[in-house]
Amino acid sequence: MSALFRTLRDGHGFDATLALLALAYLLVFSAFPLIYNILMSFQEVDMFSLASLVRPFVGLANYKSLFASPDFWPVIWNTVVFVGLCIIFQLGIGFGLALFFQQDFPGGSFLRGLFLAAWIMPALVAGAVWKWIFAGDFGVLNYLLQSAGLINDKVFWLSNPQISLYSVVIANIWLGIPFNMILLSVGLVGIPKDMYEAAALDGANAWQRFWHMTLPMMRSTIGAVVSLGIIFTLQQFDLFASLTQGGPANASNVAQYWSWQLSFQIYDIASGSAVSCLMLGFVIVVAVIYVRSTRHEHRA
Amino acid sequence: MKRYILLALALLFLAVYLFPLYWMYLTAFKPSTETFVYPPTFWPGNPQFNFVDVFVSKKMSSYLWNSLVIAIGTTAIAAFFGTGCAYALARVRNIGMDIVLFLILMMQVLPSSLMATPIFVLFNQVGLITTPRLAVVLAQAAKVLPLFIVLTRTSFMQIPKELEEAARVDGATRLGAFLRIAVPLARNGILVTSVLIFLQSFGEYVYSRSMISEESLQTATVGLMNFMGPNTTDWNGIMTYSVIYVTPILLVFVLLQRKIVSGLTAGALK
Repeated sequence: MSALFRTLRDGHGFDATLALLALAYLLVFSAFPLIYNILMSFQEVDMFSLASLVRPFVGLANYKSLFASPDFWPVIWNTVVFVGLCIIFQLGIGFGLALFFQQDFPGGSFLRGLFLAAWIMPALVAGAVWKWIFAGDFGVLNYLLQSAGLINDKVFWLSNPQISLYSVVIANIWLGIPFNMILLSVGLVGIPKDMYEAAALDGANAWQRFWHMTLPMMRSTIGAVVSLGIIFTLQQFDLFASLTQGGPANASNVAQYWSWQLSFQIYDIASGSAVSCLMLGFVIVVAVIYVRSTRHEHRA
Repeated sequence: MKRYILLALALLFLAVYLFPLYWMYLTAFKPSTETFVYPPTFWPGNPQFNFVDVFVSKKMSSYLWNSLVIAIGTTAIAAFFGTGCAYALARVRNIGMDIVLFLILMMQVLPSSLMATPIFVLFNQVGLITTPRLAVVLAQAAKVLPLFIVLTRTSFMQIPKELEEAARVDGATRLGAFLRIAVPLARNGILVTSVLIFLQSFGEYVYSRSMISEESLQTATVGLMNFMGPNTTDWNGIMTYSVIYVTPILLVFVLLQRKIVSGLTAGALK
């Protein structure tokens, strides 16, 4: 007993205790709900059986009705489009800005940091601001596009089912640019300067240096940024809540918002947890790939 | 000369990028008649100060107070559980700690909107829903704790082990060396991370919306959503609300931006 006490106070037991305390918290409040969620997706859960501990098992019925639902594939496709477009543009614009701010000029790093102002504000407030910018009749975006001659008629960004998803994409790209830019900047700093000088001496032009040196050297950073981008894009909820609420008629709905709607607005908790299980599984797979690839880099 | 052209370009990019923030502030200062003028004006002709009005009529003191309570509670739990864990993960490298780190990284990526369903059902069964703000704090702390650990761990890794060993030779216990040597030296990292977690939780929406039904306990994000409603027309008021909510966050950010940016980049890619 005293040996146990000694290791807790003075030995490796001390480190283990500190680590396990936090892990225990996470197991209770994250891992357990995760497993419970899997269980619920095989049960009949509605408002009546919500509070009871024992609920009837229904096998795969929740998943079957989910796959049969006419909303399922459109929502999954929207999610793919949403994530794909957001990643491409966040990465592209973020990379461009990171390269730009890589140059030496007064106040550069301070100005670059100010971009994060968008990232730090509550996404719901960003959604409110964008909703006002997107407004059909009095919105400033329509005005700017009209005066630039890009559109003739006012675009109804949020109520047109053909467009509403892309409007949320635009707002989310805006939110995601600073984070991409900052992470890519860190990667760019890691590339040795003398490599560029040597290449310039050998007569490589700016484009060749970017294509043959910067991009290959940035491969692991870009991989990390893309995986983190997928993970963060799938966490986006507040913009959907404030801009379109998945509408009109699910035209801009994505899986993470749909799952919440099923549970908390339609009270079809079993379906909500089935969607949630599918998406959580996907997120965890991406996260495992990301963690394994960054660990690999460290050993190399 | 070239450096000043670059500076001008950088300012231009920033201005374009931050235009939505400008539009928020501008609309808040416009009178409601000017808000719905088309083409819109880009400088208020007759600036108004509706801040007190909106703050009182939209019961913002109650909403902001609840957000503050949730942010403080979340940060306290994350700092209490996270600091020690970050320290242990920075000091010890073995297979057990690798597994702990891996599990923590896995739990960092779970989206709140997907976890809301099981957490709501579970909390409902154990009765936590009757104290909804506590329920949100517990759930949100589980969401941000991994990030706290990952970011703080890098600050502990920068402290030389020898300092603690010297203290141990002088008779300090492990706990004493941790609390009196390691934590004070990692103070900056812990504080910056706490501020980051605090700001994030101050804008929390999913859990608050899912678990708090009583209006007097709802947060500023939920209040803003209630204000927006399905057929919004009071953009003037909504932007005023947003300005009151966001300005303190932006001020803290601008004051600490250098430290937040470096803390974020150190942790995110390691």
